[in-house]
Amino acid sequence: MTDTVNIQPGRSRLRAAFGYEERSAMIFLAPVMLVLMLVAVFPILYSLYLSFFRIKLTRPNRTPFVWLDNYTDLFGNELFWTSVARTVVFSVVSVSAIAVIALLVSLLLNQDFRFRRVLSTIILVPWAIPYVANALMWKWIYDSGYGALNGLLFQLDFISRYMVFLGDQNKTIYLIANAFVWKEVPLATILLLVSLKAIPSDLYAAARVDGATVWSRFVHVTLPAMKPGFLLVMIYETMMAIRHFDLFFILTEGGPGDASHVLSWHIYVETFRNLSFGSGAAMSYVLALVTFALSYIFIRTLGRRV
Amino acid sequence: MTDTIHKPAVDYRRRQKLARISRNLAILIGALVVAIYVLAPVAWLVSSSFQTEAEIVSVPPHWIPEDPTLRNFEAIFTAGNEEEITYENRSGQDPASGGYIPSTAKNLLPAMWNSTVVATLVVILNLLVGVPAAYALAKIRFMGRDASIYFILMTRVIPDIALVVPFFLVIKNLGMLDSIWSLVLTYLAVTVPFTVFILVQYFEGLPDELDKAARVDGCSRIQALVRVFLPLSLPSLVAVVLFAFLTSWNEFLLALMFTQTSASQTLPIVLAAFTSDFTISFSFINAAGVLAIVPPIIVAVIFERYIVSGLTAGAVKG
Amino acid sequence: MARIRFNNVEKKYANGFHAVQNLTLDIQDKEFLVLLGPSGCGKSTTLNMIAGLEDVSGGALLFDDELVNYTPPHKRDVAMVFQSYALYPHKSVFDNIAFGLQMRKVDRAEIDKRVREAAEKLEITHLLDRRPSQLSGGQRQRVALGRAMVREPSVFLMDEPLSNLDAALRISMRAEIKELHQSMQTTFVYVTHDQAEALTLADRIVVMKDGVVKQVGTPDDIYERPENTFVASFLGSPPINYIDGTLKFAGGGAQFLHEALALDLPEAITAKLSGQDGRKVRLGIRAEDVDEAAAGGPGATIHGKVNSVLPVGSDQFLGFDFYGNELFFRVGKDLAHKVGDDVSLSVDLNRLHLFDKDSGASLLW
Ligand SMILES: Nc1ncnc2c1ncn2[C@@H]1O[C@H](COP(=O)(O)OP(=O)(O)OP(=O)(O)O)[C@@H](O)[C@H]1O
Ligand SMILES: [Mg+2]
Repeated sequence: MTDTVNIQPGRSRLRAAFGYEERSAMIFLAPVMLVLMLVAVFPILYSLYLSFFRIKLTRPNRTPFVWLDNYTDLFGNELFWTSVARTVVFSVVSVSAIAVIALLVSLLLNQDFRFRRVLSTIILVPWAIPYVANALMWKWIYDSGYGALNGLLFQLDFISRYMVFLGDQNKTIYLIANAFVWKEVPLATILLLVSLKAIPSDLYAAARVDGATVWSRFVHVTLPAMKPGFLLVMIYETMMAIRHFDLFFILTEGGPGDASHVLSWHIYVETFRNLSFGSGAAMSYVLALVTFALSYIFIRTLGRRV
Repeated sequence: MTDTIHKPAVDYRRRQKLARISRNLAILIGALVVAIYVLAPVAWLVSSSFQTEAEIVSVPPHWIPEDPTLRNFEAIFTAGNEEEITYENRSGQDPASGGYIPSTAKNLLPAMWNSTVVATLVVILNLLVGVPAAYALAKIRFMGRDASIYFILMTRVIPDIALVVPFFLVIKNLGMLDSIWSLVLTYLAVTVPFTVFILVQYFEGLPDELDKAARVDGCSRIQALVRVFLPLSLPSLVAVVLFAFLTSWNEFLLALMFTQTSASQTLPIVLAAFTSDFTISFSFINAAGVLAIVPPIIVAVIFERYIVSGLTAGAVKG
Repeated sequence: MARIRFNNVEKKYANGFHAVQNLTLDIQDKEFLVLLGPSGCGKSTTLNMIAGLEDVSGGALLFDDELVNYTPPHKRDVAMVFQSYALYPHKSVFDNIAFGLQMRKVDRAEIDKRVREAAEKLEITHLLDRRPSQLSGGQRQRVALGRAMVREPSVFLMDEPLSNLDAALRISMRAEIKELHQSMQTTFVYVTHDQAEALTLADRIVVMKDGVVKQVGTPDDIYERPENTFVASFLGSPPINYIDGTLKFAGGGAQFLHEALALDLPEAITAKLSGQDGRKVRLGIRAEDVDEAAAGGPGATIHGKVNSVLPVGSDQFLGFDFYGNELFFRVGKDLAHKVGDDVSLSVDLNRLHLFDKDSGASLLW
């Protein structure tokens, strides 16, 4: 009974570290790690490297190392700051609109009624279609000559003659935001609906027994329970909004003037129209860092990991 | 007992009835508003795709085509057979319809084909790399599991635009510009993390004891995955396939950078090219737009349930 | 052929939690060993280490003479029954039972034969085509047993297999499991936190607490000769009663002294207490070791006021206030006591337990 068994400690530690579980996990994870290294980690590091050079495709043979110049140039560039400002306006407007509309729609879909399933299927339509088709659709709706928006306002007697929409500096960013909101509301709604569904019905019953009215039940039970879902939606949609590109490309190309010259558009122009890859890389790095910061908050506030 | 029943001072029954009616009314109105908000823009797109060029430019617009035509769709599906339309011969088009078909129209069908091929390849690769990874993360407890999860979480939030510059240079140097493979590869960056999260979430929802039972019953890790977990994970696999497919089908930015000709151009690229060409008939563009949204919408309607559960899983954790 | 040996085995989870500490245990071939202990004490962890489902952080785990620390579960000849049954939802009952054999490449005719035999034995033949979701809890439990049985493993592991069943079914299944052990002639390791289950089934019981083994022994050892207060308290219902006091040697004998109680300890006990004069001790009296006081000696009687009376079918529990100690005794039904009555109960002196007051270690065993 007391016969001891000797296991060489060194060998056992090694075998524990590369035991069957570790080995199979390594084999299972190898493909995904390889792919992500290749298509995510390497590019993002390469991008950092590029951002320290002045790379102009028009001068392929002269790519001097400029250290942080691309970054410092950026902060002295007025158009860059304009684009930041536009991005902020676009994001704030769209994200708040998304939050409000998605809240209302999710409250509606949380009720029990006959066509609930039909409605929840319909609501997926904007989410499913390509952004390009969404852009094309809204471009046609906003059309100043024959668009539906003009037609509608005209028929309802709000306007006496057709007007310019996307071409109007004061309107354009809001109109683009509208197209963005229309496409993003479904996802936000689904996410909010999850937190609504997670509220135990006991809680409502208890509140009713305590004499809470519909409104105070909403304020004291529903809203607090939705807080995490709400936070998730806000941050996720903010991340989507600050990087958004497709609508700006198709609807306005940053115009009129610089009215819709957002950051992602600025990066595109700098990189592919001015062929300035170094500063393009620097800017996209700034954008990536902002997104990382946001998502860090995102993960922390949710306080959950898989 | 002969007690008389007293009516309460307040007629609760009437009140309840009133409350129910007003609630139902509110829901009805709300549902109508939502349905119109979502469907009206799409309906308008569809309606104008059936209008002739002459009708589409009427003021105020015809909400419902008075003289519906399939010409726009015909044009798309026969574009390849016609002689090439150039700037010189385009005025030779039918003046009654007022429209003409752009020379790029013949690219539409190949673009749809490219989109389908790219999306299919992306889906397959996603499954191949995503399924084993998710199983390992969900059911194997190994050193470095948390680190791996954080790593994948990080890659999930890299904005696609931050990848464009480095990708472009690498792909250019590899001579892979204008090849669908450049798209397949880069789309993995935007789909794989999401895939892994949906699947991890799902596998974690399956009881650990099932895994243990399989192991004790004599399954190696791979056998436990293939013989026990895969058959049980069909719903999440459907979700993964849908997301990877739709994401690839809809992607624009990367395709804009890496494709140049119809050899690799995907549907969004060809569509986008139409919108910037002011000479193209609106009704034709709209018809092309309809073609682009029909497949995703069909998918969304059929698989609504899977999409909702998948979105929830993927987004909550990512 | 399966003797299982734990030599100084440790288990630390990745989060640093020390779930099993320095476990040394020798499980004999064909033994029915029960791991008993409160929730979270490391029973499942220990069982999972035997199965290979958790790796061993330190020490050696041997099957016969083979070191299996690093052997993955599918290479060990063990079968396991889980608390939640863990049936494969996508497989029929037949395939659930057959799966382990299929994985081991047993030929089809043989699989068919064994599955049907097992099904017959467990009386689930008529369920073989069903899916687990179409079964009742008890039926699922039988399928889970069948799945382990057909494997004819050298080690049979069960993790609280009965805890999801209702009380009556649980008792009849106990008998079946006991029978199964006899007919299978293999080593059984059985986890439970139910003392009655442990006492009925076990050849030997291992009582654990916070990852540490508190006592190993036959059911009789564990119940009659608990080595510490933890084991003494964990078994018995209502639990054992404690009264703190001092040991005093006078004349030839020893006495247990409490402000209101002086018990003359019998010879057999006194013999084990030499040199313990004046020691602070904790006296243990099992709930059933009392009787209505006859005209017995004063040294064996305790007096107190009845606090509560709980009838439990055949017997009744008397809650008993004894100088600030709340004691519970199990007495016959015929004793008609009411709350507030003063009663005297005589203590069976030969069945007393004595523990060190501070360490809780038994002074007798
Ligand atoms: N994967 C794990 N990581 C960290 N701690 C764990 C893990 N699994 C179990 N533990 C902890 O180890 C201790 C022992 O767990 P174990 O499951 O062995 O308890 P148990 O005796 O089977 O309890 P129960 O009767 O409730 O099943 C518990 O405190 C538990 O919280
Ligand atoms: Mg347990």
